[in-house]
Amino acid sequence: MGTLRDTKRRISGIQSTQKITRAMKMVASAKLRRAQEAIINARPYAKEISNLLESLIWEKDIINNIFLEKKEVNKVLLVVVTSDKGLCGSFNTNLIKEAVRIIDEYKGNRKECILYCIGRKGYDYFSKRGYSILNYRIGIFSGLKNEAAVRIVSEIKNGFKEEKYEKVEIIYNEFKSVIQQKIIKEQYLPINLEKRANSKEESESFIFELSREEILNEILPKHLNSQIWRVLLESNAAELGAKMTAMENATSNAQELIRALKIKYNKERQAAITKELIEVVSGANALKG
Amino acid sequence: MKEFYLEIVTPVKPRFKGEVTSVILPGIKGEFQVLFNHAPVITDLLPGRIIIRQNNSDILFATSGGTAQIKNNHVTVLLDTLENASEIDINRASDSANRAKERLSINNKEKIDTARAEASLNRALVRIKVAKSV
Repeated sequence: MGTLRDTKRRISGIQSTQKITRAMKMVASAKLRRAQEAIINARPYAKEISNLLESLIWEKDIINNIFLEKKEVNKVLLVVVTSDKGLCGSFNTNLIKEAVRIIDEYKGNRKECILYCIGRKGYDYFSKRGYSILNYRIGIFSGLKNEAAVRIVSEIKNGFKEEKYEKVEIIYNEFKSVIQQKIIKEQYLPINLEKRANSKEESESFIFELSREEILNEILPKHLNSQIWRVLLESNAAELGAKMTAMENATSNAQELIRALKIKYNKERQAAITKELIEVVSGANALKG
Repeated sequence: MKEFYLEIVTPVKPRFKGEVTSVILPGIKGEFQVLFNHAPVITDLLPGRIIIRQNNSDILFATSGGTAQIKNNHVTVLLDTLENASEIDINRASDSANRAKERLSINNKEKIDTARAEASLNRALVRIKVAKSV
């Protein structure tokens, strides 16, 4: 009889877990719709501002701007964007794995790698394991605001100006679709010019109302801000997508478990009834005999 | 009138995309009009009004500044903010203009960020002007 009650208890336990996962899925999907809209709306600006930057810079052109200047790299700052909360499948694990791979690669090349962690999960992982962390930001994803991006950017920029590191890379999850995230590694500083090499004639044909340097000074900070802002929005939307999928899987797994346990419960119940019947019948037979 | 392609984007969302016959932008050296076959230009924009002429009707916006790139009849305007004239709340704009004026009238100049207050006043005045000209 004991196992029968146990099985019943397990069924109700799993049912309440399922209720939670279902609710979490619903919350994630409601938030996702807004996050998705935000990232899709923010992408064109980020793209156009880097296009504009391209038009301002041309091949083998020397502009005295520390964000464009390439130096010998001894220290690298890796910005790791994870989520604050778990229960989103392999979202953080995969990203952290990739980040560790990159760090090891730099170490193999005798370069120092320091971290800037955005999101609690990444910070917890790396701080426990004694990685050198320059700074971290936790809890910015609930009610994501542009000010958060601005602060991160100014911290990264200051460190770069003070020559604490000569290169900045960002690793984050890009939102591809609700069920798909892609881990992206991008160079943030110095701004990568190789891809942006422009023909000189084309760029020189522009009339500049201000000097090119002045416009560059105006655009560069905006570019840097919009890139980080985009990354935060990407990661946020990707996280919610991953969470939704993970919670949906959890809900259907729970359903499967419940089904199996119900069969088990019924079998046990049947066995108990049969056993009782046999006892009654054999008892009656004994009396008759 | 020949048409060219205009695209206006803001960090929050893309705001305008399409073929237009003319656009007036608040350049750093004053307002200027862009027509078909305009010379390639890159310029910063100040707070001011933007007038788009499409299908013989004008659409009026207020902006707090940004950057414009004109090239091969393709105009890309990156703006910090953009408001349709009909969206502007005049009361709010005049409130913020008054606040900025108040801050600027304080004698102790060290305590306030003059540049910020002036910029804020400028933005508010532009919005009031645009809203009233509808």
